[in-house]
Amino acid sequence: MSRTALNPLELTLGIMTAVGGFVDISQLVFSGQAGSMFGYSLISAFAISTIGIMVYGEMCGRVAAVAHQPLFSLMRHRLGLKLGLVTLVASVLSTLVTTAAEIGGLGMILNHLTGAPYMLMCVASTLALMASMWILPFKWIERTYGLLGLFMIVFVVALVAMHPPWGKMAGGLVPQVPHGLSNKQLLNYSYFVVAIFSAVMFPYEAFFYSSGGIEEGWKPKQLLTNRVTSIVGMGLGSLLSIAVLALAALLFAPTDVAPQMPGSVALQTAIPFGKLGLLAALLGMLFAVGGAAVETCMANAYSISQFFGWEWGRHKKPWEAPRFTIAWIVMMLLALAIVLTGVEVMKLVGYAVVFSIVVLPLSYLPLMLLADDKSYMREYANKWLAKILGWLFFVIVTVAAIAAIPLYVLTAGGQG
Amino acid sequence: MRRDSAIKLVSQLLDLPLIDKDGRWCGVVDDVEFDGTPGKVTRIKALLVGPGAYEGRLPSWAFWLARKIAGTRIARVPFDRVENIASAVHLDCAAEDMNLNRAEDEAGRWIPRWGAL
Repeated sequence: MSRTALNPLELTLGIMTAVGGFVDISQLVFSGQAGSMFGYSLISAFAISTIGIMVYGEMCGRVAAVAHQPLFSLMRHRLGLKLGLVTLVASVLSTLVTTAAEIGGLGMILNHLTGAPYMLMCVASTLALMASMWILPFKWIERTYGLLGLFMIVFVVALVAMHPPWGKMAGGLVPQVPHGLSNKQLLNYSYFVVAIFSAVMFPYEAFFYSSGGIEEGWKPKQLLTNRVTSIVGMGLGSLLSIAVLALAALLFAPTDVAPQMPGSVALQTAIPFGKLGLLAALLGMLFAVGGAAVETCMANAYSISQFFGWEWGRHKKPWEAPRFTIAWIVMMLLALAIVLTGVEVMKLVGYAVVFSIVVLPLSYLPLMLLADDKSYMREYANKWLAKILGWLFFVIVTVAAIAAIPLYVLTAGGQG
Repeated sequence: MRRDSAIKLVSQLLDLPLIDKDGRWCGVVDDVEFDGTPGKVTRIKALLVGPGAYEGRLPSWAFWLARKIAGTRIARVPFDRVENIASAVHLDCAAEDMNLNRAEDEAGRWIPRWGAL
């Protein structure tokens, strides 16, 4: 039956791309710190939020394939001009800060790799990202960064080589609050839960995934591919973050070291594999974070273009969608300008996760309404499982959104 | 949905993207213009597209800001140029026939035409 057809090559490439493209600078930073501060207990936060992004990722792809319209366009129709505009501004600002955090992360990784000054590396990486976005069509942008990001698998291999306590790790899959935490530590723990949910379920991912489905011309017959890609790809991608967390729990927690910088996270692979391991980790991080910078920047250009009904997409040549092209160029330059003010990357990462979680409910509510709407989605509208999980995660992200800013202030961004 | 069907204005038309006969995005239904008098049948006369049509839909300060950033341009698309309405409004004409391509063309002058695969 054509509706359930799976193309093995497309599927494999899609899954590999999703795995390599899953991790970004915020996940790297928070997984490393979470492992070193709270052992394996926050594995459950990664596991649960990954189920959330699987649910919404699948929904985005389904809406794109059936309604043939991207999320932001349908969002404006659903929310109207006023509330739509509020959502657009909030989403663009939070995603812009996320792009800046990714560029800062790239600057740091390149600084570790080459020894060249950090600011110079931020400028160089921004120019390289913009060149890749100009030259490559959508599919190649997605695949280049996604596939090269697979170097990150070295974290999983390093974890296996270090013989971690698998039983304790499995225990981390159960949601829990570690015993003996002081009130201050309890607040910090709560902040990390919220930050991990935000970093895994960033709103830009929904906008990028939904627009990507249109860029690639998905049709209802590709729904199964979409479903398998989002579930398997994101699930395996999440294992990379969990491996970083577990390595930090194994290596840093006993010595009371919190790996705040991307370089410290990469060092985890040097212990079993020496220089080669470190190099593979830094390369994987470079392409994963580079891919995230491109995705966040394009997600903003998609959102703005779709909201105002401009021509959009990178399956077109840049001059065939000129306002879209100008939008992504401006977004990338603005993000670079933020980094060049000298603001610390770790602060940017903190702002990115806090702003993003506040925007999350506004982004996912219209998605839920659309995917439930039989007039758009016909027989492909949400069934009971998607409905239950969708609304459950909506409640979770709404609670997290309400708690995010107070927790950020009370814990000084997880440092309190 | 065909254009001569009964339409729920807000839920089925307002804020939907416009797509021309060549599949190009050419704006959003920002407002509508009616034909009719009180007590008579009211029909949609035209779709209004462009930032000038935000007046009345945004608070005055927000419209002032939008006007400063994007101007007050409005393109009027006669409703009989609508081919069908689904998750987008599909037109039976090209964007340039309705003057919907001006801003895109102006932006296009700034974009070099080389180097992309």
